Amino acid sequence: MSVLRSLVYGLRSLLRKDQPDRELDEELASFLEMAAEEKIKQGMSRKDALRAVRLERGSLDVSKETVRAARWEYFLETCWQDVCFGMRMFRKSPGFTAVVILTLALGIGANTAIFSLLNAVMLQSIPVRDPQRLVVLRWSASSRPTSIGHSSYGDCKAINWASSFASSCSFSYPMLREIREKSRVFSGVAAFAGPAQLDLSGNGSASIVSGEIVSGDFFQTLGVDAKAGRTLDLTDEKPGAEAVAVLSDSYWKTAFGGSADAIGKTIKLNGVPFTIVGVTDRRFTRLTPGKSQDLWLPLSQVDALHVGWDGGGLTKNENWWLSIVGRVAPGVSLAQAQTSTSLVFRDEVVHESLLKTTDDPQVTLLPAQKGLTGLRSWAEQPLFLLMGAVAILLLISCANVAGLLLSRSETRRKEIAVRLALGAGRARLARQLLTESLLLSFAGATVGLFLAFWGAKALASFVVANRDSALYLNATPDLTVLLFTIGVASLTGILFGLAPALGSTRANLAPVLKENAANMTSAIARGRRRFAPGGGLVIVQVALSMVVLAGARLVVRSLANLKGVNPGFDTSNVLQFGIDPALTGSYKEAEIRRLYGELQRRLSYLPGVVGVSYSSDVLLNGGLWTSDVKIEGRTDKSEVEVQMLAVGADFFTTMRIPMVVGRALEPTDMASVHEVAVVNRAFVKELIENREPLGLHFGHADSRDPQYEIVGIVGDTRYDDLRKEPEPTAFIPLRNSGAHFAVRTVSNPVALVPSVRRALSELDSDVPMFDVRTQSERIERLLFNERLVARLASLFGLVALILACIGLYGLLSYEGARRTKEIGVRTALGAQTYEVLRLIATQGMSLVFVGIFFGVIGSAGLTRFLESLLYGVQPTDPYTFFAVALLLLIVGGAACLIPARRATRVDPSVALRYE
Amino acid sequence: MADKQGDLVQGTLDMLILKTVALEPIHGYGIAVRIEQMSDGVFKVNAGSLFVALQRLQRARLIRSEWKTSENNRRAKYYALTEDGRKRLGTETREWGRQVAAIARILEAS
Repeated sequence: MSVLRSLVYGLRSLLRKDQPDRELDEELASFLEMAAEEKIKQGMSRKDALRAVRLERGSLDVSKETVRAARWEYFLETCWQDVCFGMRMFRKSPGFTAVVILTLALGIGANTAIFSLLNAVMLQSIPVRDPQRLVVLRWSASSRPTSIGHSSYGDCKAINWASSFASSCSFSYPMLREIREKSRVFSGVAAFAGPAQLDLSGNGSASIVSGEIVSGDFFQTLGVDAKAGRTLDLTDEKPGAEAVAVLSDSYWKTAFGGSADAIGKTIKLNGVPFTIVGVTDRRFTRLTPGKSQDLWLPLSQVDALHVGWDGGGLTKNENWWLSIVGRVAPGVSLAQAQTSTSLVFRDEVVHESLLKTTDDPQVTLLPAQKGLTGLRSWAEQPLFLLMGAVAILLLISCANVAGLLLSRSETRRKEIAVRLALGAGRARLARQLLTESLLLSFAGATVGLFLAFWGAKALASFVVANRDSALYLNATPDLTVLLFTIGVASLTGILFGLAPALGSTRANLAPVLKENAANMTSAIARGRRRFAPGGGLVIVQVALSMVVLAGARLVVRSLANLKGVNPGFDTSNVLQFGIDPALTGSYKEAEIRRLYGELQRRLSYLPGVVGVSYSSDVLLNGGLWTSDVKIEGRTDKSEVEVQMLAVGADFFTTMRIPMVVGRALEPTDMASVHEVAVVNRAFVKELIENREPLGLHFGHADSRDPQYEIVGIVGDTRYDDLRKEPEPTAFIPLRNSGAHFAVRTVSNPVALVPSVRRALSELDSDVPMFDVRTQSERIERLLFNERLVARLASLFGLVALILACIGLYGLLSYEGARRTKEIGVRTALGAQTYEVLRLIATQGMSLVFVGIFFGVIGSAGLTRFLESLLYGVQPTDPYTFFAVALLLLIVGGAACLIPARRATRVDPSVALRYE
Repeated sequence: MADKQGDLVQGTLDMLILKTVALEPIHGYGIAVRIEQMSDGVFKVNAGSLFVALQRLQRARLIRSEWKTSENNRRAKYYALTEDGRKRLGTETREWGRQVAAIARILEAS
């Protein structure tokens, strides 16, 4: 109550500022007048009476200030005064102000940009109704369920398949129905899988779209409404329901121009007609971070789409492929929901004898915000690393600005001394200096926000351009980012303002005020002392830049090492694209083979093409196919894991993988009943013991599955990752799956894309091309994390280096100017040019040396966080550290030289008359 | 309260002002003089502390003020106790009595 009243009084006096003041004046004056009258009555003269009253009761002005200072609104008033005063000071030195604001804008802007990205990936809440009540179901058991097929699509943390513990987020369709029917703890459950890459035709030329297969109650559970038409409901999930599709807002806009006619239109997905029934709300951009969909299709259609996910029928309970989220009903606690869901899960898996009660099958409910990881799982680490780098960058800018302020406070010493002498409180002065630094940091933050806005956009598009699937990343600064920036700005202002604020109010007044009379010895003595804080700041800057530069250099070297790895085949001038004719629904095995053979023949006739082949997957594209096989003639009869790749004829010559012995796969092998295979050197070396490898058979343990005869051996290649040493790999004939064609050309293969497209559409215009990229582009994407960190860290390292040099340069220039007189005397007494040069340069270089010393210690401690990004170089690689130290020495030397040379040009006769 | 003698328990001046104002509406100087007289000159009130206290009490609505003409034809602000102020004075006086008695008991012991 009384706080409120005081607030009302305060606001009133702020708004009608002069009235309460006038009243106070009058009241105080009358108080003192009455006291004086009393004295006059006792016989004093008026003058003596007034004087006595002033002594006894305090003077009018002091009392007035005391009373005013007791009001809370007085604090605001003085703050405003400080702001106005600060602004005037900045206007008087625009150059200084611009440098400070720019330095801070760089530091704060870089932090805001990286934080925007971090916010987009990790912090932004799921754009659905009440996201905090959504939970993800994750099952676990002490052993792996018997004979289940399992697939997941990157929504949750990867499956855990350890021998004594199994857990994942994938469930069967019958399990979804059990949970939906028996568990009373959810107000809704939603299941989803995908996205599937679907061949879309019937709306312009054929294209590949990503569509998610979802349960009928998906949108109701999430609370997502239709923007136009309708979303799905449970009737769409019933067997035999009409095939319908719901479009995302952004796909609707790009593919249908946002036209209302799209609703009711029929499109073909994998050759199956679907009716578009609606478009989702614009705000529903994603469920899992980083995953965006073009359209959603009900579970009932998964069979017709031939994606092969349902394992031959929705009702099969051994096919676990759906991710499930539930909305916890009001009034139900997470623990209750978890117990109830666990019971349903356990009853079902035990009843279906997939697991035993002793396996302790159970379900854990994770908040969807945390449980749906998606993009987070791979972006988390580089983002945290970059956040660390920009934090260091901000520290450097703080040190830099603190140095600038410190040398400026030197020029303001007299102003401050005068104000202290006139009775200003030290706390009050420090507050004013802090206000000034906060003003600077907020100005820096404002400019920084613009930098960040632009930087985050550029970064987000860099990330998006390097991912295969459509990716949604909203890096536009939101309230969280704004609050972060305000927090950082305040902290920054206090950090760089505190030292100068405390330092300059500590001044001993007398010598400063007397300084006009040239007092050289005291100036020199003071010079020695005053160098300490400014020098410390330069050391901090050099040390921190060393850390950023060493980190950047390590990642850059790793990237070069990775690019220098010999993958076992020629990666230049190869264009690859995927096709999957089976998706159109009109191709059977023999026709697919015929299409591939014909396409191979036509492409090889294109000008500039020197080789064409195809394979089930592209090497160095992140994908990997492994299989457990038994190999003939091994003493160990158990199955071993080998990498598999199905390839077409001429694959080894096209990719330039050297043949070691035996023969390659021929066109006749593609259709032959006699199954043959080519293996790599690692296969022979690791898995075949002292036998002639040619002629041996290998294959699945089940002898009805194909048993391949080894007919040739080729050189080793890296498969899914450049970091992994070559592992045993078998190349088998590609029979009926989708394929990636590889076209080797004599020069840049990108120019060939239009004619390749034409060749395919002449054969069948309903088969879309997807994933069209060169091999080198794929490798670039594979190294995305390394490239992202290397590129940004180098940029930050460069900025850090520049800032540290500016700091050093500024300090030495200031030193040189301040010691003009001393240098003049020295020169007059016969000091040589090089001696003066040494005087200033030594001072600077000793700071650089100390900075490098601490930088090496800091780097040694911090670079281990980079370890997972490094390749072929240790986190504490001495050569790297040495190279960075040398760079700092050279650049630091250059920064010292300019002010040092200026000092040598001091004319003694001018210097001695100085001031 | 003059600084030398005034190191009394925080808030005592407020209580003394409330007591002074409780008798009749009175202006600032009057309050100062009356406190000095009643304390036989032990307390000397200076203008700064007095008006800070008056401002504080008025903002807490324990006293109210109005401009009047004084006995010798001078315009002055007269302060009077509000209902809240009367209650506060009551509780503070009782509390003060309790404390003084307690302190006295401690000092007289042994």
